[in-house]
Amino acid sequence: MMSPAELRPFLDELERFADGQMTSAEQADFEERMQREPALREAHEAYEQLAADLRWVAGHESLRHRLLALDRRLDQRHTALVRIKRRQRRAQTRWGTIFTVAVLLLLGLWFLLRPAGPRGGRAWENYYVADPGLPQSATLDEHRPLLAQAMEQYREGHYPAALHALRRVPTDNLGPDTLLYYNGIFLLSQGDGSAARPYLRRVIQQPGSALASKARYHLAVAYWAAKQWPEARAAFREVASDSSNEYRQAAQRVLQADVLRDED
Amino acid sequence: MNQPLAEALTHLRMGNQTFLINFYQDQRDHFARWARRQHQLEPAAAHELLRGVLVDFYDQVIDGRLTKLPADVRNYLYGMAQEHIQAEKTTAELPRVEAGRRQQLLRVFGQLGTDCQQVLMYFYFRGYNFEKVAGKMGFANATVARIQKTSCLRKLLELRIRATGEGAAGGQASAATI
Repeated sequence: MMSPAELRPFLDELERFADGQMTSAEQADFEERMQREPALREAHEAYEQLAADLRWVAGHESLRHRLLALDRRLDQRHTALVRIKRRQRRAQTRWGTIFTVAVLLLLGLWFLLRPAGPRGGRAWENYYVADPGLPQSATLDEHRPLLAQAMEQYREGHYPAALHALRRVPTDNLGPDTLLYYNGIFLLSQGDGSAARPYLRRVIQQPGSALASKARYHLAVAYWAAKQWPEARAAFREVASDSSNEYRQAAQRVLQADVLRDED
Repeated sequence: MNQPLAEALTHLRMGNQTFLINFYQDQRDHFARWARRQHQLEPAAAHELLRGVLVDFYDQVIDGRLTKLPADVRNYLYGMAQEHIQAEKTTAELPRVEAGRRQQLLRVFGQLGTDCQQVLMYFYFRGYNFEKVAGKMGFANATVARIQKTSCLRKLLELRIRATGEGAAGGQASAATI
């Protein structure tokens, strides 16, 4: 077979023939020469083999280049996906942190601002047996509407309003011990043991008052609310030992629980 | 790989390489996992190996060494990859003279500039006429494309003559003929 160097002189002509650049007359002449000239025929065969090999090489390289380009595209897509995922993870982490911090802040705020529980000085409320107030039958009298209103507000837990109504009740319409007693009860109910004490003490001092025994119990609780521990213990012991006092059991329960001390 | 397998071989022989391009796109990650598990290959090396295997497979089809598409193409290609790794070729090979001649042409083709490679690929592989080559390459007209193609073919021939001379000097005269 002809070497590449030997092919060189024939190349122009062979290329024009192969690429269809010859006129019909030139083409016929070339084909006729190929019949006559063995060197030209051999050069044509060598050129055809070169073209076939080149087609193979071009196909091979074309596929290689296409695969390489696809590989780069897939790598870029993979990198972009990894970047997006990383960004999403970062955003999730950031929002998670913000959420956690917000929840912790809210918890902290709630802890600081939450209403004081029983151990915050109002443990007495857990043991306190509240006065039921005057029954409706005793207050639904046309002469005592303010008293009825005070009792209603008291039962609904509106202690300042109850106190306000009670203080407007005419003194000639109600026994002084009753007025003092409920003043003390209302004040104690709103947590002001110190203010309740004088009223309840004066009820006890009223000679022959039916409310005196009840007032003793509420006075004991008022001492407790005011954190006057020795006075509270003495008052509860007095009630607990009085068999006629309707609050005797409540007082005994407090003494048995041994809660009359500063828990803080 | 929507293309029916029976048609894939015909299309490949006609120069339509979509079957292999799609195979690479779909199987690249799977192959990388397989290569890592079986041969501890890094992803980049596995990708390169799969590309080489696919080009080899294409050559087999074009050369007529593979006349029937294997029932399980993936299995066949993975088997070829295994052979590549173990350097134990069992698939049919071209006669030595022909293989040597093509490999030499492949090497000198790689020494051409990118534009020349592209022009020759468009003309000899894609079968584009000069007008289309001019359009693809941004040449002024078909005549420019023809002149470029002629020039590139001459460059290739000169490189081959040089390589043949070197080959002859090294005692490899058998691959010198075209």
